[in-house]
Amino acid sequence: MWLYLRYVFGRFAIFIITIFIAITIVFIVPRFVPGDPLFAVTSKLAEMGGSRGSPELVEEYRKLFGLDQPVLTQYLYYLKELSKGNLGYSIANFPATVTELLMRSLPWTIGLLSVATVISWLIGTFIGAISGWGGKESKISKVLVPLALGLYTIPYYILAIILIFLFVYVWGIFPISGGYTPGFPIKFSLPFVLDVIKHSILPALSIILISLGWWFLSMRSMIVLLQGEDYILLAQAKGLSDRRILWRYAFRNALLPQVSGLAISLAHIVGGAIILEKIFAYPGVGWLLYNSITELDFPTIQGGVLVVIIALTAANFILDLIYPLIDPRIKYKRG
Amino acid sequence: MKRGFVGILMGNRKFIIGFIIFIVILMGGIIAHQTIPFRYSRTGAFPPGLPPGVKNILGTDSLGRGIDVQLAEAVVNSVQIGLIAALIGTLVGAVIGFTSGYYGGIIDAILRVLMDVFLSIPSLLFLILIASLMRGVTVRGMALIIALFAWAPPARQIRAQVLSLKERAFVDMAKLSGMSEMEIITSELVPHMFQWMSANFVNATLAAILAESGLSILGLGPQNEMTLGMMIYWALSYAAVFRGMWWWWGSTVFTLTSIFISLYLLHLGFDEVINPRIRSKI
Repeated sequence: MWLYLRYVFGRFAIFIITIFIAITIVFIVPRFVPGDPLFAVTSKLAEMGGSRGSPELVEEYRKLFGLDQPVLTQYLYYLKELSKGNLGYSIANFPATVTELLMRSLPWTIGLLSVATVISWLIGTFIGAISGWGGKESKISKVLVPLALGLYTIPYYILAIILIFLFVYVWGIFPISGGYTPGFPIKFSLPFVLDVIKHSILPALSIILISLGWWFLSMRSMIVLLQGEDYILLAQAKGLSDRRILWRYAFRNALLPQVSGLAISLAHIVGGAIILEKIFAYPGVGWLLYNSITELDFPTIQGGVLVVIIALTAANFILDLIYPLIDPRIKYKRG
Repeated sequence: MKRGFVGILMGNRKFIIGFIIFIVILMGGIIAHQTIPFRYSRTGAFPPGLPPGVKNILGTDSLGRGIDVQLAEAVVNSVQIGLIAALIGTLVGAVIGFTSGYYGGIIDAILRVLMDVFLSIPSLLFLILIASLMRGVTVRGMALIIALFAWAPPARQIRAQVLSLKERAFVDMAKLSGMSEMEIITSELVPHMFQWMSANFVNATLAAILAESGLSILGLGPQNEMTLGMMIYWALSYAAVFRGMWWWWGSTVFTLTSIFISLYLLHLGFDEVINPRIRSKI
């Protein structure tokens, strides 16, 4: 127990330091760019003809960043506003705040990635188990292993382009892009849900196919390694059916690392598939970030990057805490 | 019996295939870059949207620029970004990991926290932040930005290596025979770590090219130079996929994928040679 507490403390320290460094980098980087940190904001406002409440906005920024103060004071001020959840206003979508924009896009990203990740995990784990049980020389292994290695190498956005070409350009089965048909009333109704599903099939398919390679290979190698274990030999000696040994004995024991892997993937979905969302114009966090980049909406870029980093770090921290409880084989001592 | 590290690598099939694919693409890129006149890559050099033909082997894009000449420049630049970022990342990582593992104590504690932090932050997001603030990056600038986040994985691996090497008998032997610390490092430890560093280098090159294409597809790449990521960016911007201009996006996607597969094969080859037990796994 003492060891566990020590471990928790160590992990917590890393967690705090990481977030601190992330906040500091997000604070400092814009100040390294030559000129006024507000330059981008003001030039963007001038571009828009100074309309849409710009003096108010600039005033808000002077206040938020405390630009007449020394840098250290500015930094403390930034931390204070941040702790209140104030990420400032979006420039491109004024008067919406960055927090509002993020809240609007997060459900899309989380919804798409969690469903795609779980589907991919289920398929990969089961096929991997069957293929691994069949051994190195079985026919399915000979076909599937190189295929999985190939899929594992390709970035998902390249597969996305190929899928768009096939399913949209050649066969015309799926809509080109977006999360739903524009103008469709956004409410929880059956036609809307079906529309959303139809738009999410291609982005989901890119994620499913690419991560399938990894789930397949890791489950397969686990089952292959288990084959020589004593309890498997004993089960075989007892005359149990092959199928029973695979699913009741080998599969169960090989599952733990797979479940940890799934937990890691699910914890990381907030980071999303930024580039994938750009390619499909899918209205999640990635699309928000991409639009903010093209519109030079720095508050949104900063806020979005920061929130995702904090969420990922927090997820990592929670996983680190749960790990030793699930898998006693993990030792507390590091390095 | 005595076959050197390079000799064993040359006998590894995956390594050789990966090496050949990589060299063919790179040399093809360099030669085409040197021989095809640069003016062919200017807007309006040819009629726009030509499919592959005799004069333009890979066709032209929506602005009448030759795809072949763009692709050649893109291969050279993307590989350059990969190699520069990987070289800096691996060297800096090696120095940090080495210092951390060899000296231990308080230096190790501080560097280890730094490594943990850099390993747990999602680098793509920081790259997006930095690249979006530096309007108009160049190819070299892009390589440097990516290198900022490339040192942590090699640093941790080198540290673990040094920790295990330090305890081995030959290091004690060297100490007893009166070698200075510097001599032990250069003549005993570095040769052992060289294998790991070269494997890391291949990995880091792959990661850097991946990061480059990702950033460029988001519109953060070098605007005035061509990279593989920028080619995909332009092809997507001009809706090449929906207009059936397969020669534009297809040749880029094919080249990029081939580079990834070749580097991955190189990586697998290194793994099998350094870590013979892995061979039985797949």
